[in-house]
Amino acid sequence: MKIKYIQILGTAITAVYGLFIVFLYAAEPRSLEEVTTKAMSAVESTVSKGQILTGTYEIDQARFGEGLAAFRADNFVLARDRFERADPEKRDANTQFYIAYSYYRQGWGRVSNDDALFKSGLEALQRLPVIDPDFVSKDPDLIIKTAAELRGEFEEGLNVTADDFNPLKLVRERK
Amino acid sequence: MAETLKNREIAEDIDVIEVEKVTMPGDRPIQTASRQLPSATDETRERTRAVRLYIFLPIIFLTSALMGGLRLASPDGAFVFIAPALVCLLFALVTLILFVRGGMISVEGWFSDDFSTSHNIANGVVLASVFAATAQVFNSVLPETGLPFWVVTFCFAWSLWNNLFAEFDNKKLLRSLVALFVFAFVAKYIILTGLTAPTGESGWLRSVIENPVRETATALLALPRYSAGTGYIQFFCLLFYFTGLYLLPRMTGSADGH
Repeated sequence: MKIKYIQILGTAITAVYGLFIVFLYAAEPRSLEEVTTKAMSAVESTVSKGQILTGTYEIDQARFGEGLAAFRADNFVLARDRFERADPEKRDANTQFYIAYSYYRQGWGRVSNDDALFKSGLEALQRLPVIDPDFVSKDPDLIIKTAAELRGEFEEGLNVTADDFNPLKLVRERK
Repeated sequence: MAETLKNREIAEDIDVIEVEKVTMPGDRPIQTASRQLPSATDETRERTRAVRLYIFLPIIFLTSALMGGLRLASPDGAFVFIAPALVCLLFALVTLILFVRGGMISVEGWFSDDFSTSHNIANGVVLASVFAATAQVFNSVLPETGLPFWVVTFCFAWSLWNNLFAEFDNKKLLRSLVALFVFAFVAKYIILTGLTAPTGESGWLRSVIENPVRETATALLALPRYSAGTGYIQFFCLLFYFTGLYLLPRMTGSADGH
């Protein structure tokens, strides 16, 4: 083998080994088993970012379907988990809308709402205008269709007003 | 038979350039030359040296860099990766300057316009691995937190600062560094580890009653509790590092001054 090829091979091996060490110090696995797990998640994340750069990013439709099924079955924790896995880079407006909506439905109460869940919903909703400011949901099962309406529901639920003591509120329905 | 074949292959590998006599119009003959390129044995030696320099040395240094920040938590033995503190990078830089001043590394012998681009890049990568390993070796022997960190850091800073203005040759420098790091290793992994109390599984109060001195030293000096395997890993980290330094040539290229 020519010396030039040995130099190139050595440079390549050193670069790969060096990147592996940087990965280990960044991921901080606690055991050898975790090295594999963290390496896989790092590869998935890199692939997603590469897809964003090349404009070919798509959500995982199978996981989105599982999330939608769980959402319709009122299993909101599972639904959010599936939606987040379907859209790891938080780039899909529809998926992010469902995540925010799941906080609304889970936190809604006939007598009182769960403030912590509503706050989480508001935080999740902040991503939506950045991704798609004109987003309108096409799901006929959802009563709230836009980010603005959903934000209104969250803010109204978080504020304590005289209207909260109106007994007629007990007959209202979840949207 | 096999030796004959091998000799024939070597003979075929020898590149002989022959220049024939040329007669010029003015009937003045120009010089006749017959030049032989380096023999096969020289080429094999160069190749072996290149493999050692560009493949094995970076692997040795990077393995040392990998191990330098690795600790094993107590009592479960989980990996703990500790990135080097900024001061480790500064110390590594000063150490590389010392290598140059002490003659262990000749800058002209590693980077030159006469070398090809790939040669210069490969040399740069090797030196980068030396820098990474040096930073991590400091990370290995410096205590992580508390008063011991500041004391040992001060001692290292003092030694390196003095060395910057001392006259060295490369052997003396290497010996001085070995002595410095071995002392720091003993201080951290034998003396300070001996003072560190093991993780109390039976509660804080019981640990204080059973090991009052060690518990107090651990608390006062903010000593982290690592499992015994950490010392072994760091021992091999230092061993790899100094093996790499021993094998590191002063300059690369044909005029190798190793």
